[in-house]
Amino acid sequence: MDWELLLGVGRFLLATTLLLVLTIPTAFIIIQMELKVIASMNLRLGPNRVGPGGMFQSTIHGFKVLAKEDTIPDQADPSTFTLAPWMVYMAAAMSMLVIPFAPGAIAADFNIGIVYFFAVLGLSVVGLLVAGWASYNKYSLLGGLRSAAQMVSYEIPLTLSIVGAVVLAGTLSFSEIIEWQRQHGWLLIWQPIGLGIFYISSLAEVNRTPFDMVEADSELVAGPFTEYSGMRFGFFFFAEYVALFIMSGILVSLFFGGWLAPWPFPAQLGGFAGTLYGIFWFFLKTYIFVFIAVWLRATLPRVRVDQLMGMAWKVLLPLALVNLFVTAIAVVVFDL
Amino acid sequence: MTKIDPETRIPDPIELDRLEEARLRAAAGLVPARAIGGEYAGFDQVGIPDRPPQTDREREVYSLEEGEMLVNMGPQHPSTHGVMRLVVKVRGEIVVDVDPVLGYLHRGIEKLCENATYTTVLTYVDPMDYLATMHNEHAPAIAFEKLYGIEPPKRAEYIRALVVELNRIFSHGLMMGFLALDMGGITPILYAFINRDEIVDLLSSISGQRMLFNFFRVGGVNFDTNDEFLSRLGTWRGNVLKNIEMNERMITDNEIFRARTMNMGTLTGRDAIALGVTGPNLRASGVPFDVRKAHPYSIYNELDFDVITHESGDSYARYLQRIAEIKQSIHLIDQIIDKMPHGPVQAQVPGIIRPRPGRAYAAIESPRGLYSVYSISDGGPTPYRFRMRDPSFISLQAIPKLMPGRLVADTMAVMASFDPVMGGVDK
Repeated sequence: MDWELLLGVGRFLLATTLLLVLTIPTAFIIIQMELKVIASMNLRLGPNRVGPGGMFQSTIHGFKVLAKEDTIPDQADPSTFTLAPWMVYMAAAMSMLVIPFAPGAIAADFNIGIVYFFAVLGLSVVGLLVAGWASYNKYSLLGGLRSAAQMVSYEIPLTLSIVGAVVLAGTLSFSEIIEWQRQHGWLLIWQPIGLGIFYISSLAEVNRTPFDMVEADSELVAGPFTEYSGMRFGFFFFAEYVALFIMSGILVSLFFGGWLAPWPFPAQLGGFAGTLYGIFWFFLKTYIFVFIAVWLRATLPRVRVDQLMGMAWKVLLPLALVNLFVTAIAVVVFDL
Repeated sequence: MTKIDPETRIPDPIELDRLEEARLRAAAGLVPARAIGGEYAGFDQVGIPDRPPQTDREREVYSLEEGEMLVNMGPQHPSTHGVMRLVVKVRGEIVVDVDPVLGYLHRGIEKLCENATYTTVLTYVDPMDYLATMHNEHAPAIAFEKLYGIEPPKRAEYIRALVVELNRIFSHGLMMGFLALDMGGITPILYAFINRDEIVDLLSSISGQRMLFNFFRVGGVNFDTNDEFLSRLGTWRGNVLKNIEMNERMITDNEIFRARTMNMGTLTGRDAIALGVTGPNLRASGVPFDVRKAHPYSIYNELDFDVITHESGDSYARYLQRIAEIKQSIHLIDQIIDKMPHGPVQAQVPGIIRPRPGRAYAAIESPRGLYSVYSISDGGPTPYRFRMRDPSFISLQAIPKLMPGRLVADTMAVMASFDPVMGGVDK
């Protein structure tokens, strides 16, 4: 009996289960933030009935979605229609596998973690496209096609923007990038342009305002989700907020030192205490970026689909290439 | 057309209607109804009327070429300003043609008014353009006064001008919010409602109602100003510029907002005149026509104001035009309060008015343009004929002219910049 292997499998199963469970409160917390933060930015109260200060409103929403009738349109294709929410949700949940929460708290510390992350996150577009096509609804179809166009365009600057960081750190593993940042300072200082491109592209990648073309409610009603109801809609909704959390987490890991505190990591903190300390800083920084995304939603109108494409191909992509070029030359010249 | 098997599926009522009609036609010896035009797309296309096209225009819109499809926006759609329905012919995301379908809020108000006494007509016109209730009452009140041959007291005229300008401010303020909302900005509309709520409370303290004020009377207004109204007016006057500015800061210089409104839905002055567009939409195209200046009514010739225009005629100009007019209305309100005389607010008028036979026309400047009423009296207690010209109905004519070649997303943004109110369009 290969106990090593069994232990590895057991650890993996435990980690994935924990991560899947973690997606639920994450989505609830972000939805609650969206309700309350936008409310206060709009100078209104927001939900204040369920729980103290309305803090269980999003949980109740979750249960409501569970209790609702699940309808499938007459003309829809049932097999793909039911498959689509699962695909979108799994893409989000699977990309959680490589998020470095704290030293030692990574479900799977691949040496190609970054490649894995972008490969898996890109799968969600397939789910959206399938949802748009299977729904037999013109709004869904337009939304699905928009999501395909948008995500494929933004994947390129998104990926290119971090190649500079990867070249600097010389690794594709998240934990090693964070270790590099501990020694050399956060990548935010080294790669400010890369950070800007990454942030804009990541908003587009997770369909947040001002790039929420996919479910543009004033044009396409709800985009690919128009015909969905009940928990199937809930899965899309969850996946969206989990993706926002993941994107913020990746942004923090790549450019803001991940689990590192803004000051040097205390040496006496090791083992479990160190992990907790890391988790604290990771979540704090991540939720700051989630908050900024919510803030943007309260502030900005939506860009148009052609402006969105124009920005990806005419501005972000050349800028990302220049950034990569300059970084590569600097690495060679200054021998970083 | 999809084949319907009555054994397995619940038959489509439209289909049954058509079968029934064909049967009746056959029984009566009539020729069967046939679709005009070979490319008629058929009934299974959402958005197509359940009858053959009646006009050339209808045939043009509802016949599809390869790669085109019809998207039915409304009457239940998040951003159609009530129950407007647009049938949009698209090629991918590009709009090829737009057909506005109206009448989902038709209540027959003009006919109702012909069965109501002159006094009660003023209550029926309230819910027409529900964002400009005071204006709705103003025009019929002037028309009936002309018919009956009385003049309202001076103080009543001043109070009328005051409430009408207050109404104009909140209506224009909401337009700023709705325009941003249709582009996905959710905050400006709520800021706009702060200002609107203050004004609505203010107007309810003088008229007694919050939305459908029912404040105007033939020969005056219902109530004189009271202490609560005046104190609220003072508070509001202190806040209003700050409020408007707060909203303006979110929108006016926003790069995304500018990119989506500048050079978008450009209506030239010539086209605007040809289409009959009036009000802020016309002035944003550079035509200095304002009913308050061109054909002064009420006390507007005693007040000092200019006709504001913007040159470019695009959505952004229409937005700036509204902001400029809000500030102008505040300027007018300051003058009105300054000059308001003492005296009665209601002329001596009998309970049931029986004007001599004749006709009267009254036009006012509503927030959406020239709003006018034409009324004929046959000597009885009710108007013999009562017709209204609603400006948003006319403005909507510009939408199909402006949209072809633009994107689906712009349909809503351009429509919001014309600020139509479906209550007025459908009457």
